[in-house]
Amino acid sequence: MSRYKQYIPDLKIYGIMLFLLVGFAFWIKIMDMGSHWQQAGLTTFSLGFILLAAYITAQILKIAGLPLISGYIFVGILAGPYITGFLSHDMVARFRLVDDLALSFIALTAGGTLHLQFLRKRGKAIAINILLLTLVVFVVVFFSFFFMVRRLNLMPNLTDPQIMVLACLLGVIAVARSPSSAIAIINECRASGMFTTTVLGVTVAMDVLIIIFFTLAMTVSEIIMGAGTAVDFRLIAGLTLAVAGSLALGIVLGKGISLYIGKVGHDLSLFLLFFAFSVFKACLWFNQFMEAHFAVSLHLEPLLICISAGFTVQNFSKYGYIFMEAMERFALPIFVLFFSIAGASLNLDALLKTWPLAAFLVVIRTLGIFGSTWVAGILNRDSSQHRRIAWMAYITQAGVAIGLAQLAQRRFPELGVYLTTLVLAVITINQVVGPITFKIALKKAGEVEQG
Amino acid sequence: MKLTFALLIIIFLAFSGYHLTFRHFRLPLFARIFYLTGIEFLVLGLLLGPQFLNLVDPETQKGLAPLSALLLGWIGLLFGFQFEIKKLRRFPLEFFLGAVLEGLVTLALVFAGVYLTLVFCCDIPDSFMIVVAITLAAAGGCTAQTGLAFLSPDRIAKRQHTVKLLRFISSVDGLIPLLIFGLCFFYNPSTGSGGSWLGGFWPGILTSLGASFGLLLLFTLFISHRRFQKELILVVIGMTMLTSGLASSLKFSPLLTNFFVGFWLVNLSRDKERIYQILMTVEKPTYLLLLVFLGVCIRFDSISLVLLALVYCLYRTLGKFLSGFLLTRLNPELQKHPAQLGFGLLAQGGLSLAIFLDFQQTFPSRISTFVISFAILAVIYNEFLSHYFLERLFKRGAS
Repeated sequence: MSRYKQYIPDLKIYGIMLFLLVGFAFWIKIMDMGSHWQQAGLTTFSLGFILLAAYITAQILKIAGLPLISGYIFVGILAGPYITGFLSHDMVARFRLVDDLALSFIALTAGGTLHLQFLRKRGKAIAINILLLTLVVFVVVFFSFFFMVRRLNLMPNLTDPQIMVLACLLGVIAVARSPSSAIAIINECRASGMFTTTVLGVTVAMDVLIIIFFTLAMTVSEIIMGAGTAVDFRLIAGLTLAVAGSLALGIVLGKGISLYIGKVGHDLSLFLLFFAFSVFKACLWFNQFMEAHFAVSLHLEPLLICISAGFTVQNFSKYGYIFMEAMERFALPIFVLFFSIAGASLNLDALLKTWPLAAFLVVIRTLGIFGSTWVAGILNRDSSQHRRIAWMAYITQAGVAIGLAQLAQRRFPELGVYLTTLVLAVITINQVVGPITFKIALKKAGEVEQG
Repeated sequence: MKLTFALLIIIFLAFSGYHLTFRHFRLPLFARIFYLTGIEFLVLGLLLGPQFLNLVDPETQKGLAPLSALLLGWIGLLFGFQFEIKKLRRFPLEFFLGAVLEGLVTLALVFAGVYLTLVFCCDIPDSFMIVVAITLAAAGGCTAQTGLAFLSPDRIAKRQHTVKLLRFISSVDGLIPLLIFGLCFFYNPSTGSGGSWLGGFWPGILTSLGASFGLLLLFTLFISHRRFQKELILVVIGMTMLTSGLASSLKFSPLLTNFFVGFWLVNLSRDKERIYQILMTVEKPTYLLLLVFLGVCIRFDSISLVLLALVYCLYRTLGKFLSGFLLTRLNPELQKHPAQLGFGLLAQGGLSLAIFLDFQQTFPSRISTFVISFAILAVIYNEFLSHYFLERLFKRGAS
């Protein structure tokens, strides 16, 4: 208890600040918003409110040893449409613009955090981890879900093939990770070392590979459902092309960023913000354009482009340090907004409806992760401490998993409600628990910077 | 999607244009007047707006409104930071009094002229006329330093005291006009056919004071601890958003509210230098975005705009000449400066334009669009006039 006494003055100040902020929020909510300018004011105010309230809450939770992003997410949940309703569904949807910017920005940071020399050292370990995590988690989630639902007759409206497809898609989605959360926590702890590099490498690579796994799972699902008869090689070729194209474009753009740093140099943070946003939006536009005008389904992945660009600047130019320093300047407001909005987007309704099954899936997935990282640790000859804690680093899930569930919902509308509800519920739990376990893991690994 | 693309284009233009305008270009003098004052961004905004390319249509403008509020707040904060009492006291008191007098005289003259002109020439409801006149007068009272930027170093060396006075006045003379502009928000012409000062004045004042006090307390608490640079960036951005958003929601000016916050911070915060550095990081892109946003709002659909702009420009020029004359003649300490001091005060930049945007966003209507269209045209006239008269002032001075 005496450890916390030193924080009492800080807590008092934070308390007063939160009280003032909430007071303003309450006041603005009861105000009559007649004109459009007032509503624009409400949007601006809400962004400011979220930014500051999340920051303060995170500082308070930090005293209790919780990661900062838990504070951001917590405020998002509280302010979101399911608890206080300060942020309505509409407003959360309007903040998507910020979300897009943040995602690309985080992807750039992810690429910049990957050092080739470390990756070379840990390449084998990363590959083994990816292989085992993918296989074990998929198999464990698939079979557990399939047999449990059939045995207990939890979904009487679905046929066996439908349950199998649902299990297959849930299994693949369970493999997805959240690079953004991983990067945020690594940044917060200023962690570095073997364990951190491995986790980051696995998480970022998984973000790329999951798209391929998911496409394969969709193809298999179509065969099971009788909608397709064989593996669609055109789809796989298109996907390979999109991944390769995104990586190549990222390299070119990364070279462009290096050139900018070398030739111009100033206002780099602003330039990178603009770059991240443009890449995201240009990709969306390009994908739509190709589909509408040429009936070509070539999906350039903005996150992949940004990761590749960041990686290129960090490892194939002499400006890696300057680049990361510039990214750092605006990283905090972007992380805070991104995770708060992510918190506000978490579907508590879905969690309420399906919590027993969701909790079961979370436990099963965690067991799968534990098993695979344990075996990977033995194969890589990691220390016993690293083997014991590695699972804690891979719990967090976020946007990618939701995106995949939505894609699957479009393809299999008859399964959509079950799938999306369950995925949202599972993500809600993982997104709250994951950052906490990851921070504990980094501390236990001894890779958190002291002071 | 359109909103996103409009935003991308605008940010790109502001960003790239900032480099072209403020960093690299060495153009002939005439072109430099055009470029260095940022007029090209008003034109770009006009091109992007509904009158030409329609990339930024009215719906997109609505989507961009939160960004406008933030921009206005940022400019307000920056203006507030110019009023560090410790620094102001390094200048003689006559300078400050002179700047206040200059702002007031110009404001009064422009107000009288504009009001009479509007009564006789424009079909504007009485209740709104006074708001328009105050806005135009307040914007007319402000001076920019852009004209002084063209002076060659040898000219400055010859008349450095006058240049110092002109620089001081153009930094400070927006104070009284901005405060008077704040009155428009209490008048609230939309509430009744006749409008009422009494109906909204005291509640408005009390609400704004209460809100400002709360916001200042919050900001002070945030910076009561020394924070890392990245945390301070978050606090400054967050507080500016909060203040601007609250002001807009209260139908008050984000520009003025943030001016108060800036004034408070620069005089009472130990982190003022760090905060100022953060504000300055995006100062020029902010200014250019403001120009683009204003350009988008312009509608050149009547020849009467050109004439009204001329008339407005004329009132302002007369106001500046007269106030320059008065302040150099009334105050013995300032008599060593030329009586034509007003020749050096014609440039009308940042703060005036921010006032126009604030007015346009708070009182959106066909009339406000018409008003800012001719007012912006007048700003462009002023930029050209400013250069000519500044040359004359310094030629006389030299001789």
